[in-house]
Amino acid sequence: MSEKNKSVWAKSLPIKEQLHVIVTLIKLAKPFRKMFFGALAFGGVFALLQAAAPRVIAYYLTDYLQQSDNVSLQIMISFAILVAIIRVSQAVADVLNAYYFTVAAEYALEDIRVQVFSKLHALGMHFFDQVPAGSLVTRVNNDTAALADFWRFFMQLTFVIMSIIGAYIGMLTVSVKATLLMLIIVPFVIGSVFLYQRFSSSLFRHMRQRLSHLNAQIAESITGIDVIQEFHQEDRFKKTFAKVNNDYFNARFKMVKADALLLEPMIDLLLGAAMFLVLWYFGVLSMSTVVTAGVIYAFTTYLNNIFSPLESVMNLFSPFQEGLVSGYRILGILSDETYAPAQNINASESITAGEIEFKQVDFSYDGKHQILKNLTFSAKPGDTVALVGHTGSGKSSTINTLMRFYDFQKGEILIDGHDIRDIYLKSIRQKMGLVLQDPFMFYGDISSNIRMYDDTITDKQIKDAAIFVGADKFISTLPGQYHAKVQEGGSGFSAGEKQLISFARTIVRDPKILILDEATANVDTETEALIQKSLLKMRQNRTTIAIAHRLSTIKDADLILVLDSGEVVERGTHDELLKQGGRYYDLYRLQGINETNLTI
Amino acid sequence: MYIFGKLMWFFRENKRLYVLGLSFLFLTEISQMVSPALIGLFTDTVISRTLTIENLAFYTGGILLFSILMYIFRYAWITHIFQGSALLEKTLRQKLFDHYMKMDTTFYQRHRTGDLMAHATNDLSAVQRVASGGILMLVDSVVVIIFTVISMVLVVGWRLTLVGVLPLPLLVLGVRYLSPKMRDAFTSSQEAFSRLSNKSQESIAGVKAIKTLGQEAEDIADFENQVKDTIQINKHVAFIDALFGPMATIIMTLSYVVMIIYGGSLVINEEITIGQLVSFSTYLGLLVWPMFGLGQLFNVLERGNASYTRVQTILSEKSAIFEEENGVKEAARGDLDMQIVQFTYPDDQDKMPALKDINITIQAGKTLGIVGRVGAGKTTLLKLLLRQFDGYEGAIRVGSVNIKNYTLNAYLKSIGYVAQENFLFSTTVRDNIRFSDVDKSQENVEEAARKASFHEDILSLPEGYDTEVGEHGVSLSGGQKQRLAIARALITNPEILILDDALSAVDALTEKQILNTLRSERQEKTTIIAAHRISSVMNADEIIVLEHGKITERGSHADLVALNGWYAEMYQQQQLVTKIEDKLNGEAVGDV
Repeated sequence: MSEKNKSVWAKSLPIKEQLHVIVTLIKLAKPFRKMFFGALAFGGVFALLQAAAPRVIAYYLTDYLQQSDNVSLQIMISFAILVAIIRVSQAVADVLNAYYFTVAAEYALEDIRVQVFSKLHALGMHFFDQVPAGSLVTRVNNDTAALADFWRFFMQLTFVIMSIIGAYIGMLTVSVKATLLMLIIVPFVIGSVFLYQRFSSSLFRHMRQRLSHLNAQIAESITGIDVIQEFHQEDRFKKTFAKVNNDYFNARFKMVKADALLLEPMIDLLLGAAMFLVLWYFGVLSMSTVVTAGVIYAFTTYLNNIFSPLESVMNLFSPFQEGLVSGYRILGILSDETYAPAQNINASESITAGEIEFKQVDFSYDGKHQILKNLTFSAKPGDTVALVGHTGSGKSSTINTLMRFYDFQKGEILIDGHDIRDIYLKSIRQKMGLVLQDPFMFYGDISSNIRMYDDTITDKQIKDAAIFVGADKFISTLPGQYHAKVQEGGSGFSAGEKQLISFARTIVRDPKILILDEATANVDTETEALIQKSLLKMRQNRTTIAIAHRLSTIKDADLILVLDSGEVVERGTHDELLKQGGRYYDLYRLQGINETNLTI
Repeated sequence: MYIFGKLMWFFRENKRLYVLGLSFLFLTEISQMVSPALIGLFTDTVISRTLTIENLAFYTGGILLFSILMYIFRYAWITHIFQGSALLEKTLRQKLFDHYMKMDTTFYQRHRTGDLMAHATNDLSAVQRVASGGILMLVDSVVVIIFTVISMVLVVGWRLTLVGVLPLPLLVLGVRYLSPKMRDAFTSSQEAFSRLSNKSQESIAGVKAIKTLGQEAEDIADFENQVKDTIQINKHVAFIDALFGPMATIIMTLSYVVMIIYGGSLVINEEITIGQLVSFSTYLGLLVWPMFGLGQLFNVLERGNASYTRVQTILSEKSAIFEEENGVKEAARGDLDMQIVQFTYPDDQDKMPALKDINITIQAGKTLGIVGRVGAGKTTLLKLLLRQFDGYEGAIRVGSVNIKNYTLNAYLKSIGYVAQENFLFSTTVRDNIRFSDVDKSQENVEEAARKASFHEDILSLPEGYDTEVGEHGVSLSGGQKQRLAIARALITNPEILILDDALSAVDALTEKQILNTLRSERQEKTTIIAAHRISSVMNADEIIVLEHGKITERGSHADLVALNGWYAEMYQQQQLVTKIEDKLNGEAVGDV
């Protein structure tokens, strides 16, 4: 496991960061404040009713049962009904409080989830090239889910505070002096809560760290089982795992001990001490004045009401910390500024003919290493320009700037004579079709993979596009044909089939400009021929910029650019370059290929 | 309840832990009974104004004393019982892990990684809960309920107790009614969550495709729709979850009504005192949690039992690879002789033989090339050689010993296998190369890396040989991964090296380099190369062409070209396409 991965559980957030995260998360929940406050109001009602019931019973005990001549069956029934009404209303307030709070938290976190997801789509390719996809998936889903615990903690906290206030109000109505005495316990309660928080959060983090280490170890051992068995490393892995397993056990046992020392048993001990205090007070008091049964009943019940909900809050401390860390990471995404390159304001031009011109374009990913230097070339509508060169020579970067995935720093890219920044993005996306090297398939069916949410595309257009690229033949053999299921990642389809479907996805939009990042996929020779044929058809009447691996594309290109370290070192047609006798010629001659064999 | 019986072996093994833990739990429960009685007595003496300083000290001191005792008992039982449950989880997890380590390929085909993970995590948590929460709930419900009821009878008499406790079993029923609903709701909530996860995973992995088509807004709208569905499902969960507490409040109300009317009239008739009534109400409070526990106990046990059964089923599966106990322990070496009459995959529905009539002999030191279409049987043949399947007709011999007669350890040590896609572990490049023996020196590692033409690449990595690779490390290109895997196999200097399309992502020049090195370095050792690219095998001593599991062409490169069959056709086509393209694009096309 790398340091990066460990760090989340390895250190806690500084208090300042924590406060910032809490404040920001609360601000983000503002649209749902009505629901949150509604829930709180029901919580307040609950707390008051909870305090009312013991008070009524205390009254009944003191004023009626203790003076038995006062009481009739009718009065007993009335009291029973009154208590029943209070408690049933209390139950209803409880349901409404819990339900509305949870739902409000759910709305708030789903809202943040959509914000994170939308934010990701606003970020540029630069961001995605830097951050591993797996961690982004965690941000969108698991981190936002952890916010539920963040809110649950607040719910319990307000609930506890209201219960305590309610109980104190109830006590005040019984005995002011005794209530004041009971204020002594407040610092103890707060103290024990803080003590637990201090101990548990670092132990919990430690335990979580061990657990994720343990899970990673299991997952890796299962996925790599072939290699482990082949090299006969089972015993080594068993031993390593035994250690990891034991580390987790120890971390967990420490947590158990801390909980046993400071959580539920401690709260009950404090309750016992408070009980001792209040009974001692009333006992001594009773020696000089009258103390009623109701008073004793009310105070013992209120003490229970104060202490029993405490435990649930303390239990939520660790998840709350987890929620804070998640919130911190989410805010990191929301404040990221690696946006996709912006078009000029009022960009309103559109692509009509498909003429492309690069004028002295400079480009760098990081501002330090120049990737494209002074790149200049042009393609008339319908032309094919092939880019040839080593890895890192600037082929992909040329496409990245043309597709507006990355912004270039100097020079101009003109399409149909307009600065590319003046063309509105939708036109760029519709009229420039990029065929990716590794075609990505989405969960759904064949049609949805070709249509890609664009509902203006008819079924007939989809079929036509598939026929055009030569995908119709294999699609019609599938069960359900165009509605055949596509699983995640397109498993079940061969590389060649995926390639053809992605061709159809491009062609159905009838782009003016075709950008080919040609694949070097391992496809069998027959499929390769099919792909070649299809590519040739697609290129007709379209301006094509191709990172070319295929001879057919190179040979009949109108312009071949041989790139080296971001610079064009040779340019011309195939024949011209051969005549030129330069680098291209060398590469070519090296193979000793007879020209008549070049047609594929 | 069965589950406790099934786990008895563990409880016996850790007798001390459980005897002590249960004793302390028992003491805790008993101590709980004291203070309500004391409060009742206290109340009566206060009302009757007969309280003296001595009995005040007795009552309140008793409450304080038992609070302290309870604190100690509680600490003791929690640390014992929960230690036991964590120990159970640890023990089972190690068993499972050890089991995974020895299972065969068919096992890993039958069970998906996610499921195997779930057995080692979720299932074990469920079993662990039986040994912690399950025991607590059981003891709590049995002991607390019995003792509370006895205490109530002793303190306030059996009539009020009977009527007062009567509504409480409703709580058990209520929890039992709500729990499965909660579980269903929770399951559908988890399903909704994984749908969202899958959706976002796909969007992020396919972000380039989405950007290319300018479909960001549509994709967000689709995500929002799924979020809306998720909210609806989670609202339902929130609703059911919100019902548990209030249900207890309402059922307890019935007991309070009884207390007020019936208990009140008993007080009036002077059959019980007010103090006893106060004790009664406190005892009622003690019963709430055990009733809840009783309702949930069955769930915990049911789930634990189901999980334990799943884990046991996995543990009872036997590895199909037969290990000869008295097998040959010397390293396998010598000529390789494969005589396979027929082989069919054990789980093949159509019983179509994957291999038929294979007869190959390679002398030690020679190279065999295997070519053929996808699915022709190349990899199957290699799998038999790797002893991933033993159920074939015929025999494979190395040095005239049947490979099934070697111990697996001796046999596999002699073989180095590199696949097309190779798994790298989340550790340094160095430890990945010396995976077979982490004590190998840096010189050994570098030597292997050089042989695989990978040394230069490693030096250009951010931290050289210390660079982390694997899931969380730097990502290597396909060709780099293949060469790392080749280095990992070469460091063992295997008697038989198998490259199963292991050069597919390596560019032509580097491929040539590696093949040349192999030829000069491995003159005494056998090499088998299966490939799509003819260039990988054309210098082999013998080349076989497989089609539908049978050998259709065989001979040297020259023989096969002269034969003018499938091989010759492939050779011509690939010569045109692959080599030129690779050249045109310089060093590493596959690495793009």
